[in-house]
Amino acid sequence: MIQVEHLSKTYGSTPAIQDVTFEVEKGEILGFLGPNGAGKTTTMRILTGYLPATSGTAKIAGFDVHEDSLAVRKRIGYLPETPPLYPEMTVEGFLHFVARIKGVSAGDRPVRVNMALKRCNLLEKRKVLIRKLSKGFRQRVGIAQAIVHDPPAIILDEPTVGLDPRQIIDVRNLIKSLAGEHTIILSTHILPEVSMTCSRVAIINRGRVVATNTPDQLMAQLNSGLGYELEVEGNAEALAQHLRNLAGIQSVHVSQVQNIQAGLPSDLPEADLSGSRHKLAIALSSSSDDLGRQIAATVVRGGLGLYEMKRSRVSLEDVFLDLTTEEKPPEAIAAIEPESDAPEV
Amino acid sequence: MGTILANIIAIYRRELQSYFLSPASYVIAGTFWLLSGLCLFFILLSPSSLISQVAARDQMGITTPPVDVAYEFLNVFLGAVGNIALFVLPMLSMGLYTEERKRGTLELLATSPITNWAVAVGKLLGVLTFFITMILPLLIYEAIVLGASNPPIQPTTMLLGHGGLVLLAGAILSLGMFLSSITSSTGLAAMLTYALNFFLWVVDYIAQGIGGSLGGALGHLALLKNFTNFTQGIFDTSSLVLFISYVVLGLFLTAQSIEAFRFQRS
Repeated sequence: MIQVEHLSKTYGSTPAIQDVTFEVEKGEILGFLGPNGAGKTTTMRILTGYLPATSGTAKIAGFDVHEDSLAVRKRIGYLPETPPLYPEMTVEGFLHFVARIKGVSAGDRPVRVNMALKRCNLLEKRKVLIRKLSKGFRQRVGIAQAIVHDPPAIILDEPTVGLDPRQIIDVRNLIKSLAGEHTIILSTHILPEVSMTCSRVAIINRGRVVATNTPDQLMAQLNSGLGYELEVEGNAEALAQHLRNLAGIQSVHVSQVQNIQAGLPSDLPEADLSGSRHKLAIALSSSSDDLGRQIAATVVRGGLGLYEMKRSRVSLEDVFLDLTTEEKPPEAIAAIEPESDAPEV
Repeated sequence: MGTILANIIAIYRRELQSYFLSPASYVIAGTFWLLSGLCLFFILLSPSSLISQVAARDQMGITTPPVDVAYEFLNVFLGAVGNIALFVLPMLSMGLYTEERKRGTLELLATSPITNWAVAVGKLLGVLTFFITMILPLLIYEAIVLGASNPPIQPTTMLLGHGGLVLLAGAILSLGMFLSSITSSTGLAAMLTYALNFFLWVVDYIAQGIGGSLGGALGHLALLKNFTNFTQGIFDTSSLVLFISYVVLGLFLTAQSIEAFRFQRS
């Protein structure tokens, strides 16, 4: 239904997206996941024909978005980041206007508008001026204008941004109900949204698609098994060294916990480094057995205080961070860390 | 063709609706009526005005050459209204595209199966219709004054005068629409339109200063000189062509700039 091949867009000399390639099957919901500024909106704008691509092709329902722009525009519904609304119009009047410019025939218009109002739960607001609607309702009107002409492809740019939890659930259910007969691309930087609504995920970072898969498989792809999180008091670095020597442990990350005792600022000279609390994130290698016993024993042997120990599982969030965060080189960490830990003189 | 027309009508209706529902446009219309009313008042009643001058002449017994007061009145009054229009029209055109940009609705229009031309034509027709409704009450003023004239005024003079006013408005609105399509600031759009109006207003004097063929060519661009032809009841094809050229130029530039400036963030 939607084919994107080697799409690139450059603003001046800064590349916004580079070599983006993905495909969406009919009836699928593709989640477009990435941090802000990753190129989600640019990609969507190219798909809708709003922006020309610098190179590469994109096709919707077999029509090239640039060559056959009008044919593509007839077949898509698009909700930009800010819903495009005329505040002085009523909800119904606005939807009639959109249906008209989207080429819905006069006979079908009342039916289509009614359908969109019903689907987006806007029936009781049909005569209300858009100016008087709350943000949640405006967002729904935005979705209604994207589906009013019953397009085969729907492109939604951050459809749940700025909504309250109840409305978010409503909008997600609405989007899910649209799948099947419509092909949907939605962008978001909210991770649970993707695992809840989308059948496939494309993760985009710095203008490049870094992974495309189903949410489950993406997690499996990165899931190196279990991990543990510890909170300890004492010499955490020494403990980390001991733990790293255990067979089956892949990595240990140490981070300092803010000193919350008696509200003392952690940078006071008398704050004892060895006594402060640290968090340890331990990743087990996928082949190893559960090492909970050994980890606990190592902590006790080291004479450290153990305040928390829990199993952790890789979530989509970790996948996302793993794919989109660039690891700092070790030297850079070494240069920063002593400074932040050192007491101020 | 049918769909293009349907799209133009859709844009036209929406545009017109927003003018009639927005308080700002009533303020603009009110200002226009107030200023044109004042003009009428001074033309009729001020001691130095046309009517009192003619009256004074009559009292002194001068009857040659005869003065067609009704005709002179219409000429002076429409000339004044044209000047007021130069001041009021940029306020109508400034928001045509800047508002769409601000609301993000330009993105809706640009991703709908509708051409930039259709949007521009629909918008121009909408704002021009609003301006025509603004000049309708002036016809009442004129009817009151001219109703007393004997012999009655020529219908063609009336028609040409007001037709000229609408053409002048179309030219300014079209160029103003283009200027509002290149910026996202309403104020800047208005200022640019005022600057352009001022240039087209004084270009006649500049042309006279330059002289020669360049001056002659520049002189043809002047808005008011061509407008005056109409208010004097002279049908001049070159004036008609000039105004229509301005309208088409504005439409063309608008459609092109919307295409070219798409990449700019709204």
